[in-house]
Amino acid sequence: MSPSTTRIVPFGISLGMIARYAVLLIGLSVTLLPFVYVLVSSLKTPAEIIRVQPAFFPKDATLQNYLTIFADPRVPVATFFANSTLVAVGRVLITLFTSSLAGYIFARYEFSGKNLMFGVLMAQIMIPFQMIMIPLYLILVQLQLIDTLWGLILPAMIDAFGIFLMRQFIEGIPRELIDAGRMDGASEFQIYARLILPQLRAPLASLGIFTFMATWNDYLWPLIVITTHEKRTLPLLLTWYSNAHGSRPALTMAASVIVLLPIVLIYILFQRQIVANAATTGFK
Amino acid sequence: MGQRGQLQRTQQRFAYSIMTPIMLYLMLFSLIPMIWAVVLGFFDYSPVRLGSGLFGLGGDNPFVALDNYIAMFGDTQAAHLFRTSLRNTFLFSFLVLPLNLAITLPLAIIIERSHARAKGFFRAVYFLPTVTSAVAVALIWGAIYSPQAGLLSSIIRSVGMTPPKAWLTDPQAIFMGIPIAMIALIVAHLWQDFGYNLVIFIAALQGIPANLREAAMVDGANESQMFWLVTLPLLRPTMLFVCVMTLLSSLQMFILAQVMTGGGPREQTTTILMSIYQNAFRFQNMGWAAAMSFVLFLIIFTFTMIQFRVLKTDWEY
Repeated sequence: MSPSTTRIVPFGISLGMIARYAVLLIGLSVTLLPFVYVLVSSLKTPAEIIRVQPAFFPKDATLQNYLTIFADPRVPVATFFANSTLVAVGRVLITLFTSSLAGYIFARYEFSGKNLMFGVLMAQIMIPFQMIMIPLYLILVQLQLIDTLWGLILPAMIDAFGIFLMRQFIEGIPRELIDAGRMDGASEFQIYARLILPQLRAPLASLGIFTFMATWNDYLWPLIVITTHEKRTLPLLLTWYSNAHGSRPALTMAASVIVLLPIVLIYILFQRQIVANAATTGFK
Repeated sequence: MGQRGQLQRTQQRFAYSIMTPIMLYLMLFSLIPMIWAVVLGFFDYSPVRLGSGLFGLGGDNPFVALDNYIAMFGDTQAAHLFRTSLRNTFLFSFLVLPLNLAITLPLAIIIERSHARAKGFFRAVYFLPTVTSAVAVALIWGAIYSPQAGLLSSIIRSVGMTPPKAWLTDPQAIFMGIPIAMIALIVAHLWQDFGYNLVIFIAALQGIPANLREAAMVDGANESQMFWLVTLPLLRPTMLFVCVMTLLSSLQMFILAQVMTGGGPREQTTTILMSIYQNAFRFQNMGWAAAMSFVLFLIIFTFTMIQFRVLKTDWEY
């Protein structure tokens, strides 16, 4: 144990505490080892990585694998990044809009059929995706949206959980705010856009981050919908690339790092919020 | 009064103008697909055949009543694969759930007792794998399990033991009745997923009022009594949530198996969702796949209900 831990606990170090920190550090190494492994492997030369009993750290660290990927005309990395970003940002913006608007309606409006509609919405949470993916595919075929990025966005424009989350939050916003808006002659939509929306910064950020990550990492639905190489999202590109370079694992490791990097950076930036959200909302 | 009625009408109109498209959308992309999926299970449907009638159900895509479901008990190759994938999925899920709890609950208790700064740090690092792309996770663990140069074999060799010839591709490699490839998948899955339950347990532990623990302490409870008699009963609602979510996701396991093992060796790691995907989108056998997906839906539904029964509590603290 480092000497600093004595200051952490006022009544000194007990055996139990040493054991506890030992467990935490073992857990830490197990958690981080695969990340370190992919990073060091991506810096190895093709000859070194397939050697039996290779050293953990590369002998001659090289960026050659990354350069190979970026120079490969069949792998326009920028295109795949653009595809993933477009779908993720598209889904985020649409979800935030529909969730906040519908959440506002459910929280602050009275109309007949409201409870029924809310029930329908909540029932939708119970339907697992695997159950409806075949009909969804057939619908996209009819709409001629197979093999388009729109096909990845369209079935995910309403998020029942997002609506639920927003409703909970908006119920905490004082009614006086809305009444004041009406007095000033604002239209219903203006009240939503100018008075409610600015209050929702925190829950919108949580919902946005989670929708972004879920979309960015999504695999099964893009695998079903996308068939053209240039329209692949990053996870699809990754499996294709790995299959195409089965004998050169260092390249696959470098490609994995390229795909992992943005999400890890986002995580480092928003770590506190992401963890807090997972803990309180049970968002996955 | 008249003005008030006017205001109410405006508000109602606004509410309906937003909710109508949303409800229509849900109808098109949730309700109809759900019904359609159930209906498909009663047909011998393939999108490559034109069929006739509504949604191409009829003609060359005939109504077969319960044939798809009866076929699940049959002696065909497809039926065998279905039952194998179901068995694999159960094996996977029922190993993942207790292992996950055995890791996350003690770890959460340890972290909860640490100093605030250490707590934040460990929690943040442990959560990192859950946000990373499952495809990348599958490729990284695939490299770790690589038979010759992989990390795992290297570690085993460096302590003077002989690693097995292959971790993911040898159908003969079995440990305590469980295929090694399945164990490898479970380990990778646990690694990626444990941070999620961990964070939820930590939050729940923080929510337990200190005076309850103090009261137990005054009554002379020791550490293990404290855990079994105070902490664990108070965690019941959280336990319910965690068990439901963990089982839900492991019953629908797809990416790791698809990318790491492709379901092999010899279908030892083919999951039910992989089987549904292959039948629907590789073999275009959508009626059969829809029937399988309905079975998976019923399984998920049943387990969720059972857990609600078993772990439900009426009291709060």
